[in-house]
Amino acid sequence: MSDLAYVIEDDEDLSTIFSEALMAANYEVETIVNGLTAHQRLKEGTPHLVLLDLHLPGLSGDELLNQIHADKRLQKTIVVIATADARLGDAYRDSADYILIKPISFTQLRDLTLRLHSRHDKD
Amino acid sequence: MNVVLRRIRNWLDVPSDDPDDARRRKLLNIILAGFIVLCILLLLTLLIWLQFTKPSNEWSADEKILFWSTAGLLLTSILLFVANRLVRGWSASGLFIVFMIIGISFADQPEQLVTGRSLFLFTIPIFLASMLLPSWTAFIAALLDMAILAILARQLQNFPLSSLFPTYIGLAFISLLAWLSARGVEISLRDLRRLNIELDQRVADRTRELSASLARERIEAGRSIAILESITDGVIVFDIHGKAIVVNPATTQLLNLPRDQVINSSISDLTRSKGLDANNRSILGDLLTNPGQQPASYRLHWGKKTFSVSSAQVFDTEETPIGTVAIFRDYTHEAEIEKMKDTILATVSHELRTPLNAILGHVEMLKEAVYGPINERQARASERVISNTHRLLDIVSDLLDQAQIQAGKMSLKIHPFKPNDLLDNVLGLMFKTAADKHLALTGEIEPELPEILIGDLRRLQQILVNLVNNALKFTEKGSVHIRLFCPDRKHWAMEVQDTGMGIPEDEQEHIFDPFRQVDNSMTRKYAGFGLGLSIVNQLVALMGGDVAVKSTVGVGSVFTVTFPIVQTGGIQHE
Repeated sequence: MSDLAYVIEDDEDLSTIFSEALMAANYEVETIVNGLTAHQRLKEGTPHLVLLDLHLPGLSGDELLNQIHADKRLQKTIVVIATADARLGDAYRDSADYILIKPISFTQLRDLTLRLHSRHDKD
Repeated sequence: MNVVLRRIRNWLDVPSDDPDDARRRKLLNIILAGFIVLCILLLLTLLIWLQFTKPSNEWSADEKILFWSTAGLLLTSILLFVANRLVRGWSASGLFIVFMIIGISFADQPEQLVTGRSLFLFTIPIFLASMLLPSWTAFIAALLDMAILAILARQLQNFPLSSLFPTYIGLAFISLLAWLSARGVEISLRDLRRLNIELDQRVADRTRELSASLARERIEAGRSIAILESITDGVIVFDIHGKAIVVNPATTQLLNLPRDQVINSSISDLTRSKGLDANNRSILGDLLTNPGQQPASYRLHWGKKTFSVSSAQVFDTEETPIGTVAIFRDYTHEAEIEKMKDTILATVSHELRTPLNAILGHVEMLKEAVYGPINERQARASERVISNTHRLLDIVSDLLDQAQIQAGKMSLKIHPFKPNDLLDNVLGLMFKTAADKHLALTGEIEPELPEILIGDLRRLQQILVNLVNNALKFTEKGSVHIRLFCPDRKHWAMEVQDTGMGIPEDEQEHIFDPFRQVDNSMTRKYAGFGLGLSIVNQLVALMGGDVAVKSTVGVGSVFTVTFPIVQTGGIQHE
């Protein structure tokens, strides 16, 4: 069966690439390009994995992170942060499962999420 | 009493430029004044005495002579006194001596004057001449005496002139004595005067020096004040009790505080000024109460302005602290630029990487056949796009690293790490590049190297990757060898040795400059901006290490980076 994954990324190209990578890892992907929409969708769905860009229009990635941590439903959700700023990446070491510094390669993301997904399937 | 004495002294003093002349004429004045007083007393005594003893007013011839000669003497003395005061030089003294000799020749009977009781009178003009006139005139006075004696002797009967010979010898001898003594006095007085002149000269010189140095000091002080008044940095000097004693105009302008409010205020008054929040207040207070601390200057936000503030203790010439000086430099503009630079850095970082990431991702998807199968040539073309995009991303990273280091924004993440991991990672990352150029890439770790080291693994890896990249870039055949070792017990080192073209000696000191390759024309042949070594150098400096290069043209280069070994006990493990 396929699990749900949210790709929260405002850049059209990157969201396509990330979505394709996650789909290649057998996720059912929902692409979200706006912070406010993401806030709404996180209230409704229970994704197995969230790929989160920190620079978002509407609501910041920071606030979405807080929302995920505050919601008991989303306790098992794997959070992968995608950022271009290596310094910012260091700051989020404790609040995310994985931090990927852009540029993020398609194969790199595909292989990582494939591993995460298959581990989940085994559980 | 004093007034009378001063009046008498004024009368006796003779104004003259020549001190000898003044001395002689004053002496004559004293003698003449004495004569005048004596004559007056004598005349009064005579008149009174005659009044009581000769009521009939019949004076004897002797009495008349005595009276008139005294009166004559009085008149002569007064005239000479006046002449002496008015006429410069010897004239009055000369006349006085001549009159005296003539007077003496009438003072007694010729017989007594020539051979008897009054002969001694002739010695008086000799001594007086030696003192009232130049000393040699003692001899002239003696000659005059001799002439008068000869005239007197001729009036005497039975007195051959040759009998005067012993008298003449005596007079000559006395004149010699008078001359010698007067000469002695003259010489000592002259020496004394010379000493006085020298002393005056010395005093004058010293006074001139003193006034010159005072003037210099005044000019120096004036200059310092002028500098203080005109510099654009704010300067406040606090005394040892923390009271502001010097405040320059720039301070009042920069801090927007009236000078009266700052001068004489205390450090705590200043820190309580409007525009300072609690944090900046404590920074300023700390800076002013503990001057000379590290770092040397602080950024201080004061209202809408940003200042770079530094402080230092002021010492006097004895090295005793006497206060604190604080310098406020307007840093507002620079701070804005710094902030802008940060924004640009972040923007560039995001805006450059995002499209590159998109290119990379799309091509990868093509190559991975996400959109359907592709043929071998298409796959090769995709690979070329991917590798060139990676190169472009590396350049962007280098530029951003360089900018970050220069802006002082690069921070290190210090953790324990295994040197083994470091070497494996680098070999893994660089293996393909070396293989593409058919170069051997090898690595070794010497056994004495600790199994765990402390440092920023990611940055150490970056240093090593840059060095290896550089070595691979400039080596056409042969090998690149990485060695991790301990040069001594307190240091560990990373060494990258190649068999490349080498670096000429005169270029070796420039190779760590940013945007520089040994020969600028080579930039086209060997890709890259020449940022790699500059970043290595700056990262190594940031980590407290040292980088060195040894190179021989045509043989190869050895880059060695040395770091102090940090004891594991001193750092908290995460």
